[in-house]
Amino acid sequence: MKKIIVILFLIFLPALLGGCFDQKELEEQAFVVSIGVDKTDTRGVFRFSFQIANPEVGSSATGTSTKEPAQAVISVLGSDFLTATNAANATVAKEITLNQARVVIISEKLARSKEFIHLMQSAPSTVDLKLNAQLVVSKENAETFIRNNKPRLESRPHKYYQYMLDRAKETGIIPDAPLVRFFQITEGDADLFIAPYATTIRDDETEIGEEDHYKAGEIPVKGESQTQFMGSAVFREGQMISTLTGEENRFCLMFDSTLAQKDILISFNDPLMKEYQVAGRLDINNVKVKVDYKKEKQTTINVFVDFNINIHAIPSTVDYIQSLEKQRILKNSIEKQIKNRGERFINKTQEKFKAEPFYWSLHIRHKFLDIKQYEKADWMNKIYPNAQVRLHFNLEGLEFGKMLRETDIEEVRD
Amino acid sequence: MFPWQKQKTAAVQKRKERKISRNLKSNVAYIEEQFSYGINFDFVSQEIVSPASRYHLFFYSTTIDTQQLSDHIISPLLEAKKDIPISRILTVPSLASIESMNGAEKGLTAGSVIIFKEGSPEAFEANIQDFKHRSIEKADNERTVKGPKDSLTESLTTNISMIRKKMPSKDLIAESIEVGVRPADPVTLVYVRDLVNNDVLENIKKRIQSITVDNIRNVEVLEQFLEERPRSLFPTMLYTERPDNAANYVSEGFIAIMMDNSSSCLIAPITIWGFFHSPEDIYLRWAFGNFSRLIRAVAYLITLFVSATYVAITNYHVQLVPIDLLLAVASSRERVPLPITYEVLLMELAFELIREAGVRIPSPLGPTIGIVGALILGQAAVEANIVSPIVVILVALSGLSSFTAANYSINHTLRISRFIFILAASLMGALSLLGAIIIWLAYAVSLNSFGVPYFSPATPHTKSSDDTYFRKLLKNIKWRPVFLKPKDVDKK
Repeated sequence: MKKIIVILFLIFLPALLGGCFDQKELEEQAFVVSIGVDKTDTRGVFRFSFQIANPEVGSSATGTSTKEPAQAVISVLGSDFLTATNAANATVAKEITLNQARVVIISEKLARSKEFIHLMQSAPSTVDLKLNAQLVVSKENAETFIRNNKPRLESRPHKYYQYMLDRAKETGIIPDAPLVRFFQITEGDADLFIAPYATTIRDDETEIGEEDHYKAGEIPVKGESQTQFMGSAVFREGQMISTLTGEENRFCLMFDSTLAQKDILISFNDPLMKEYQVAGRLDINNVKVKVDYKKEKQTTINVFVDFNINIHAIPSTVDYIQSLEKQRILKNSIEKQIKNRGERFINKTQEKFKAEPFYWSLHIRHKFLDIKQYEKADWMNKIYPNAQVRLHFNLEGLEFGKMLRETDIEEVRD
Repeated sequence: MFPWQKQKTAAVQKRKERKISRNLKSNVAYIEEQFSYGINFDFVSQEIVSPASRYHLFFYSTTIDTQQLSDHIISPLLEAKKDIPISRILTVPSLASIESMNGAEKGLTAGSVIIFKEGSPEAFEANIQDFKHRSIEKADNERTVKGPKDSLTESLTTNISMIRKKMPSKDLIAESIEVGVRPADPVTLVYVRDLVNNDVLENIKKRIQSITVDNIRNVEVLEQFLEERPRSLFPTMLYTERPDNAANYVSEGFIAIMMDNSSSCLIAPITIWGFFHSPEDIYLRWAFGNFSRLIRAVAYLITLFVSATYVAITNYHVQLVPIDLLLAVASSRERVPLPITYEVLLMELAFELIREAGVRIPSPLGPTIGIVGALILGQAAVEANIVSPIVVILVALSGLSSFTAANYSINHTLRISRFIFILAASLMGALSLLGAIIIWLAYAVSLNSFGVPYFSPATPHTKSSDDTYFRKLLKNIKWRPVFLKPKDVDKK
């Protein structure tokens, strides 16, 4: 019996000691919430900025509040994510951990350079960095963006990113762009990748337009928070080539069957009183993409979008609610207006980008027997730019919110 | 056999074979010597002389009913005018004739009165025993809100009477076997004749008979002699103090093992599910009974895994924790000196201390436990920065959950297993935790209780009352547990 105990003890002893190689106590780690990467003058060297959350701020409802700040930002030079964390440890006492990082912010300058794809190559092999972190492109330097970004209502930095990105994605003004999607699309080499576009520097010279015809920085917001997430950066073959406005981004989400969006508030011209607009909430029910591929002739792409609209503002007070005839006019007008805007955007992608950001290559892949034939047909360069795209919008349901009848302006003014 | 043992057995054999003599004096002398008459204050040797004959009574005054003794034995003997056999004089309900001294001794120790008659080679045993025992009280350890409240008590006859009351049937057998030698104690097997599986019954009987030990006084000790794997963490017999629970099991084809001096009985064979079912599950309405099963199932999982999972995740898999929780834990741990594993072990140990003290503490001192437990170990430990608040919550949760166990035996299994899992989780995180769970489960599945697989009817799958995880409507239950191989499977 004694012998057995001794043997068991000897077996377990190395296990007890050896098991700790990967173990790390919680309080010995510093959790990075966002990572910013900038281009430097030297090739292959980047400036990494780490925004580190201070766990003591805002974590306890009753405990004594510390005077420490909620976050610390440090920036160091490095060639990839891992070496940079090591360098950052020169000033931070705790071990820097990337596995809670929600956002990777890339400056536009870096995104537009050829070095960007080399930097991204190190991301999947960085074990710590989760590939569902969002890729965000900032107009200014990423370091400036992180330092300028001072949310007023959220005391903890990660909350801000979480709420901001979630809400903006729901309204469709920025796309969902996890790192893993960047690799999927870039390596698929057939579509454009779009990532949220953000800035903390306001562009003062923009004029007032419709609510979603902006890019980040152009929105005339007044308030203390400078940060704006709006529109998206377009990447072709791992390099940024252009930007999209919020409206264009909504069309990207609308035509892409792999992404979901809710809650789009959108306004149209009032068909009966041209100087007014009608506003409503647009719900997309169903999107179907049919690619009719012909080897020698022009390919046609039919896109069917079924949607509902819940009109909640008719400033013109035209009585759409009670008149079925007027509703029909409104329905046709809305379908036409959306179609026009959509076609304008499709033209832009075909002529300017020569590729589409809708992940439509998924709908043509099954028409080929093997990958070789598919690659030879070349969706990105040959098929799409020359294809004929037909949009079919179908307004399935028109509702008018809580209103039962429109205010009779004449009677009120009387 | 060793020589001294041979001698001893020979002497025992000789004493056993001694016959009752016609000479009253020699009988009296023998019994008085054997029972240390004069030293044992309660051993009574009384001569009665009636007009017809001489009689001699022996009994322990502490084990018999003195009222019955004077009314039904002494008075009739004194009044007997003619020399007629004792069996026609006495008016006691239970009277047996004995021919050997061994029988007389047994009768005396069992609390009967032994009557010798001058010139007769035959003695009589009048069974008017009156051993003192607790009255029937409420079940304390297996409480239910709905359902019968009585519990077994330390008297075999009372216990059997409770079971008979619940199952008035001629097929209900209460068979007695003896175990031990100094003295031999009766063990009673209660089963239904036309349901029980004979192989299982024979197996249990054989095991009881093959026990070679001085004495076994109660089922708690008997349980450990009967079990196949006494060192195992898993009990293979159900220990219950509720006669209704025992009767339910017996009517399904199980066997109840009872002994005098035990206020509980053992049910064999048993599967692991039996430990998780409470008799109240059946008494409650379908939805309520199943809801309470669900709560208990969750509680078992919490008991076993919540601390271990916390240790594994916070030490090795930080990326799995939502960042808000992570920062909260990290900030509360910033001032705690111990590593997480030791912190959790320390608190679990403290909880076990409270539990153990709570069981042992004399009841007038009981309230101190509450103060010490709640204040000192909970709040003060956090304020002194010895443990973090989240660990207090986890340990309290797992401790509390362990007491939802429907049976006390499985409560120990869960609590000890919990420590195994915490240690396993601290080695290599989820990897080693899963490894430990797999080994633990594989061991549990490999067990069997008197030939019945421990996890049946889930694995191996057999027909049963479908009462394994959740129970059916009572009227939809068709089968008795088939894994027992009862003689009659169909319930309807």
